[in-house]
Amino acid sequence: MSSKASRWKTYRPVIALSILSMLVCGLAYPLLITGVSQAAFPYQANGSQVQLGGRAVGSYYIDNGFTLPIFFHGRNETNPFTASASGVDPDITLSDALSQIPRISNATGIPASSLDALVVAHEHWTLWITGDPYVNVLELNLALIAAYPSSYPGYA
Amino acid sequence: MIDAIQALVVVAILASALISGSLLAPYVVRVLTGAPTRLDRLLDPVEKRVYRLIGADPTITMGWKQYFFAALLLNVAQMAIAFAILVGQGVLPLNPQGFPGLSWDLALNTVVSFATNTNLQHYAGEATLSYFSQMTAIQFLQFTSATTGVCVMAAMIRGFKPGSVHMGNFYVDFVRVLTRLLLPLCILAALVFVALGVPQTIGGYVTVKTVEGATQTLLVGPVASLVAIMQIGTNGGGYFGANSAYPFQNPNPATDVLQIYLMLLIPTTLIFVFGEMIGKKKETRPILIGSYALLAIDMVIAFLGSIPVVGPGIETRFGGFFSTFWTVITTAVTTGSVNASLSAINPLGILSAFMGMLIQATPGGKGVGVMYMIMYIVITVFVVGLMTGRTPEYLGAKINARDVKLVMVAFLVHPIAILVPTIAAYATKAVDAIPGFSSLPTSVGFTQVLYEFASSAANNGSDFFGAAANTPFFNFATAAVIFVGRYVPIAILLALAGSMIGRKRVAEQSLRTDGAAFSFVLVGSILLLVVLTFLPFLMLGPLLTYFQGMVNFFG
Repeated sequence: MSSKASRWKTYRPVIALSILSMLVCGLAYPLLITGVSQAAFPYQANGSQVQLGGRAVGSYYIDNGFTLPIFFHGRNETNPFTASASGVDPDITLSDALSQIPRISNATGIPASSLDALVVAHEHWTLWITGDPYVNVLELNLALIAAYPSSYPGYA
Repeated sequence: MIDAIQALVVVAILASALISGSLLAPYVVRVLTGAPTRLDRLLDPVEKRVYRLIGADPTITMGWKQYFFAALLLNVAQMAIAFAILVGQGVLPLNPQGFPGLSWDLALNTVVSFATNTNLQHYAGEATLSYFSQMTAIQFLQFTSATTGVCVMAAMIRGFKPGSVHMGNFYVDFVRVLTRLLLPLCILAALVFVALGVPQTIGGYVTVKTVEGATQTLLVGPVASLVAIMQIGTNGGGYFGANSAYPFQNPNPATDVLQIYLMLLIPTTLIFVFGEMIGKKKETRPILIGSYALLAIDMVIAFLGSIPVVGPGIETRFGGFFSTFWTVITTAVTTGSVNASLSAINPLGILSAFMGMLIQATPGGKGVGVMYMIMYIVITVFVVGLMTGRTPEYLGAKINARDVKLVMVAFLVHPIAILVPTIAAYATKAVDAIPGFSSLPTSVGFTQVLYEFASSAANNGSDFFGAAANTPFFNFATAAVIFVGRYVPIAILLALAGSMIGRKRVAEQSLRTDGAAFSFVLVGSILLLVVLTFLPFLMLGPLLTYFQGMVNFFG
């Protein structure tokens, strides 16, 4: 009886603390963060969903899978040998974007110089103001639709 | 090579980690020594209730065996809970995607991996784990393993502290580190990550029609809360299979820099904690200089190689520089998260990653990095003693034959745990079960297998294979290596620290360990030990790949 009691005394903290730590770290903590995030940052907390014409069309951070010649294309569709690590990289390099301008210009009739200016206006950099320039494909295409609604009937 | 601005970014991030680490250290010491902290008014009553609830007497003190077995048993009990959750997730709540339970060998591998701060992942979280599992199995173990690391380090320091009479109380350390250090830091960091664009929801995956009208599923979930602890706790196991290469886990350069910084923060802090807790701040010097000098060497090796351009395995928003930088840091602190495909990193970058995982103290994982550095110091003190003909001493204690045997065994665990299973994987042809392995060039394949076990033994967790290694051999073998690589060195080093208690200390040290000369010798002996042990294997792996003129590991 006494050995049983002493064994319980040894194992009780182990069992109780493992359950308690699961409840605190595995439930209370992530649910607290979820609650505060949903209240304070609902846009980011739900995946930074981007709207077009009043409906969600994707996430700012996930490749939207453009394939039509009138749009800039992400890197994940064009060529499997250039695929990103995530497979959903939403960005392309500036040079990649510029190389697509002749195709888009051909398909839409928008002057290449205007497309060039649009791309440059939506540049981001890996080091904020310096580093390698890149563009977010969805952001760029939505800007394209907004700037040239007549070239994109049915989208705006 | 990198340009001046990139070099400046490296220096700025390392400097921020050093400065904030030195500022945070006094607080961590107060947490570990029971001194008053600002959170006491809030947490003292909670803490007292916790001790009563779990039936632990906070006033009793433990010897090394008691301390170690309390930690080991608690970790095993936590593994058991997480194992039950992973196997049973099909019938548990918060599973909007309806994922079935994991196979038991994968569940075993996963809980051993996460309870030991390793986070090797033989699954892709977004396609395998329910929200409930991501929270109550993964995030839960990420907290407890990080906490355990800090605790055992504190116990070891207490053993080495001149005049100390015990190793502390594991349950008190565990509760205080968790509630006063990791939880507050993670709550803060998680909310910053959400603000910067990392999702945090339990509402289920979102299906949308894309601009062109195709159906797309957005894999949202409780991601930010996981990212905070995975980096702060040097865990590294990601919410997604692609880890921090996946945009929802690491959406932009700002979150990337923040994650690199958070990986470095606590391991760097604990270096300063050592000197403060020992009561001789100068004794932080060899650990600080040693670990950061080795990190600098790692960095130089990695950046000597070609920096990958945006292409296969590299995310556009990070580019080759941030991908290589991350790879060095994540192995230097044995976190194991990645922001690129390891296959895209140049062979010298991977060599540098190996250095981090083989040394384990640059500055190494949470708590254990400092423990390994103390191990190297004892070895170095012994070698220097032999060379100068003086009695080896550390912190005033004579280092005897048993101490040297203990540290040598602790050191040898690592090569045995890495090299034996690497050879076994080839001898048993287990490597052939990995899809596409046979078509890889020999040096590339060997690098990947060696990396798998080096990462497991170092409790790092990054790997080339990912879900491709979800085979019974690799699940069992890596689980065994992870377990041995975690607990055997901890047990031996705690035994060493335990034997320091009550040992006579001399005031005047014949060999000073707090000077620049000793730090220099320390770095040299660490490099010598590790390079001599592993060079033949590195030669057949990343070095051969490099000399064959390959620039990555896609084969």
